[in-house]
Amino acid sequence: MIVNYRCFNFFFPYLGLLGFRYSRAATVASPCGGHHYVTAPSAKPPQPQAGDVTEKILNQPLEKADFFRVAELFSLKDLFDARVHLGHKKGCRHRLMEPYLYGCRLDHDIINLDQTMEHLQLALNFTAHIAYRGGIILFVSRRRQFGHLVETTAKDCGEYAHTRYWQGGLLTNANIQYGPGVRLPDLIIFLSTLNNVFQQHVGIRDAAKMNIPTVGVVDSNCNPSLVTYPVPGNDDTPAAVELYCRLFKMTINRAKDRRKQMELIHGLSAPTSQIS
Amino acid sequence: MAALCRVVSGLRYRVRLSPRFLRNSFSSDSGPAESPISGFSAAFDHQEVLRRETQSNAAGPKASSLDPELSFAALLRRSPLIQMGPAKDAVVVGRVFRVVRDDLYIDFGGKFHCVCQRPAGADGLQPGSRVRLRLQDMELTARFLGASTDTTLLEAQAVLLGPLDGREHQIRD
Repeated sequence: MIVNYRCFNFFFPYLGLLGFRYSRAATVASPCGGHHYVTAPSAKPPQPQAGDVTEKILNQPLEKADFFRVAELFSLKDLFDARVHLGHKKGCRHRLMEPYLYGCRLDHDIINLDQTMEHLQLALNFTAHIAYRGGIILFVSRRRQFGHLVETTAKDCGEYAHTRYWQGGLLTNANIQYGPGVRLPDLIIFLSTLNNVFQQHVGIRDAAKMNIPTVGVVDSNCNPSLVTYPVPGNDDTPAAVELYCRLFKMTINRAKDRRKQMELIHGLSAPTSQIS
Repeated sequence: MAALCRVVSGLRYRVRLSPRFLRNSFSSDSGPAESPISGFSAAFDHQEVLRRETQSNAAGPKASSLDPELSFAALLRRSPLIQMGPAKDAVVVGRVFRVVRDDLYIDFGGKFHCVCQRPAGADGLQPGSRVRLRLQDMELTARFLGASTDTTLLEAQAVLLGPLDGREHQIRD
């Protein structure tokens, strides 16, 4: 039985690899998922331990609502002190942002921080899950004032940033611009959804076209409709943007550390089963 | 965050206003032996009770364990920005965070910063020094012909009155 499986794997080395890790094919170890392609007579996989362990590591965070406890990272007072609730003037308001506004005071819009708390928690939780599963995260912001801050944030959490001019086919024409088989980001985080002429950033529309989920900080003059996880909040004050960068960095680092921890806990059994 | 302060008359107005609100919130806790309250104070007490009820029902366990005075509505109402009122001709304290030749970029606690020319002879104004400003506008916006939304300059406008407490000639650590 085991001899037969070994011959099978020898002739078809790539069949055992999980489909969604296309460009990382060479680095994923062989033991997982071999049972997908084995025919009817051998229904039970010969090496069950490693595949089940990976599945367990991937499924365990999905059982709890806030597995990474991202709600502890911030409080209403932190958001308030960072001036996240301040919006633009009434004349700059986008019609679709009206549900997220608390009100308008002397022509200045005030964003409802209770809603922001919920949306930010959802966004951070989603980011943590993506980082846990080894997804690529791209930080995008066209605000020149915060370009350096966004780039250093991305560097500190081991992810990527794009704070320069967005070429038209960056996501939609990637196979031709960067070569075939390019891996696109699994999540794009917009620290500001507008570009320098106050139009919606092209990346939001392109990410929606390429089925890439987006997290975006939407101010009172932005359009939140295409953003998957909008976070209504101020994107103009340095204090607010520093807060967002700090929160995303902490979430991603926390999720990655948790993954390493889980692999250590469960991974002690995986290498020994490969040898047999 | 740079503190907003008012000139003396403004302070007196704010101090006079706050005891009235405190008295109303305390009267809602006392028994019905008081004389019947009516009008604004009755409505205010009723709204306070409703607000606390909705907060305790709708808010998560974290919010209900905290003092209801730390709700967003309470924080907003007591914030200096709201207490200040209209921004026209309000005197505030700001902090210089960047100097580019003769331009001082000053942050006073609002959404945007303001940019002021350095007055002649005021070479002591360095990044980190505190100044007094008279605000004109918190955000410079205008609706131009043919536009559907306002065009914003992403800046506030203020007139520089001078360094705080005349500390211009002291050396800042």
